[in-house]
Amino acid sequence: MTQRTHEDAPQDAAGRPVARWLPGAVLGAVLGVLRALPWAVVTLCIVLAVLAPALAPFNPVASANAPLLPLWSEGHPMGTDSLGRDQLSRLLYGLRPMIFVSLGAVGLALLVGGAYGVVSGVQGGRIDWALMRAVDVFMSFPIILAAILVLAALGPSMLNLTIAVALSQFPIFARLARALAAGEAARDYVLAARAVGYAPLRIMVAEVLPNIVRPLMVQATSVVALAALTAAALSYLGLGVRPPAPDLGFMVREGQELIFLAPEQALLPGLLIAVFALAVSFCGDQLADERTRPGGLT
Amino acid sequence: MSAEILRRLAFLPVTLFFVATLVFIALRALPGSAVDVLTSQFATAGLREQLIAQLGLDQPLWRQYLIYMGDLLRLDLGRSFLTGRSVSSMVWQTLPVTIELAVASLLVMLIAGLGMGLAAAARPGTVLDVGMRVLAMTLFSVPWFWFGIVMIVVFSLWLGWLPAFGRMPSALDYRATTNFVLIDAVIQRRPELIGPWLAHLTLPALTVGLTSAGILMRLARSSMLDAGARDFVLTARMKGVPRRRIFFRHMLRNAALGILTVIGLQFGAMLGGSVVAEVVFGYPGIGRMMIDAIQTRDYAVAQGAALALAVLYVLVNLVTDLTYRWADPRLRREPGR
Repeated sequence: MTQRTHEDAPQDAAGRPVARWLPGAVLGAVLGVLRALPWAVVTLCIVLAVLAPALAPFNPVASANAPLLPLWSEGHPMGTDSLGRDQLSRLLYGLRPMIFVSLGAVGLALLVGGAYGVVSGVQGGRIDWALMRAVDVFMSFPIILAAILVLAALGPSMLNLTIAVALSQFPIFARLARALAAGEAARDYVLAARAVGYAPLRIMVAEVLPNIVRPLMVQATSVVALAALTAAALSYLGLGVRPPAPDLGFMVREGQELIFLAPEQALLPGLLIAVFALAVSFCGDQLADERTRPGGLT
Repeated sequence: MSAEILRRLAFLPVTLFFVATLVFIALRALPGSAVDVLTSQFATAGLREQLIAQLGLDQPLWRQYLIYMGDLLRLDLGRSFLTGRSVSSMVWQTLPVTIELAVASLLVMLIAGLGMGLAAAARPGTVLDVGMRVLAMTLFSVPWFWFGIVMIVVFSLWLGWLPAFGRMPSALDYRATTNFVLIDAVIQRRPELIGPWLAHLTLPALTVGLTSAGILMRLARSSMLDAGARDFVLTARMKGVPRRRIFFRHMLRNAALGILTVIGLQFGAMLGGSVVAEVVFGYPGIGRMMIDAIQTRDYAVAQGAALALAVLYVLVNLVTDLTYRWADPRLRREPGR
């Protein structure tokens, strides 16, 4: 029996097509714009972060004017913080650690977890058992707690934050890569490669890896948002980037102290995190959809 | 089934040993020591040395580790470097607070996540479905701590409906017996405790529960749709079973398993999420105690808190697994795994 999943069923239970109330062309155009939107937002965030030094009107760590100017003040469209630093500049610069850490951590987790999983899946047997039990033990620990402890040990810095977040995502990639690699390892071409006498490393890198890299990449896209949120939470707890360097998570923390006086101090940086995470989530969702749809990726 | 329980229980000490070691390493590697926090820069060298010896920090690391493990085996979590209070009693005092918050959050997540997921699955492909999915994605992508602050701004600052910080109003004379307020209210015959307690619990629980509801919504929706595509639904429809009955009796029962797993996993995640929520709302739970202890380098307290959280997490996962087996007769019948 072929199981119909919800992904390839754009119709309701009675078989009627979706959104009957819109003419096809209009719907297509609207959907097209909606699908492009998250990609545009992510690109914009990255561009703003990269160009922050050129775009920021003030030094983000130096006091520029009177403290706590409201929004839309002259010269300070986003106001100033409690130390008189320009909020717009701090927001722009604050994007940098978030994007660096989320992309870096996912890349690191993909690399290390992927390699770990491929070794486990291709080698099989006792090695597989031992490697996967180690992941089980790791998974039996609340992830944020592990990240907090790692950061407590390494001390707060952007690199350490990246390592801690990568560690929290390592099991996701290790398990996925292991499952995919074990599936491939059972197939004829791997058997053939073994019969010819290829070294295990060559089988892993040249034979198995190319066949599992796409689902791994899709998974990577779908956890960038989680990485950004984890990093932001750790920064909020004061374990991320060292002040006074601007960081969105820590800006929320600082702003919270003034919550009854100037709520925008905490709300704006958080909104920026949310927008970025949301856009990345939608991008990941689109890729995952394409993967499961016939004729899509993989 | 019982073999599986035994296997899982046998795994428990291994996990706990690993957790305890990780906690030890992490906190010993902290830059600076509790002595710096305890003494001002004007403290004499003699006083500092005396303090270091008193706290056992002059021992080599391996001895500190052995002493620590030995104490753990005797369930002795040591004393706070800063206040001298027994860490075990601090854990017993704060853990119920966190459990209350996690359970309340779980309820919020269940109601919101299942409600949204079932609503979307009942009308797939409609505006309602798309709206629910976008809402789920939004809830999932909002930073928890920021969502909490938004709640404070809306419900405390603007509307003034709910308190923003703490667990009980300071004016209220609450002496903990179990520190589970509901239980204490019964034991101490003080029903007036419940109102203020609920008022303080609402915002943190909504924060953690709603931000976790997105995952549950998506899973409930897709499990229901998968169940709806199976042959038994077609059979039931041909027999003339009403749609509502098919939805709740046939589809929901089959989708329940996957949903149950996620609930268990999410409960664990909630313990983590409550760490953040406790900091946001100044809620006196174990997570906040841990973060404070890390910042003041109060090793013993941070260790105790991290261990307690990890043990709770491991136990919750174990219970979830076993419930899962119990709920799925197919898994129950097969011996071993």
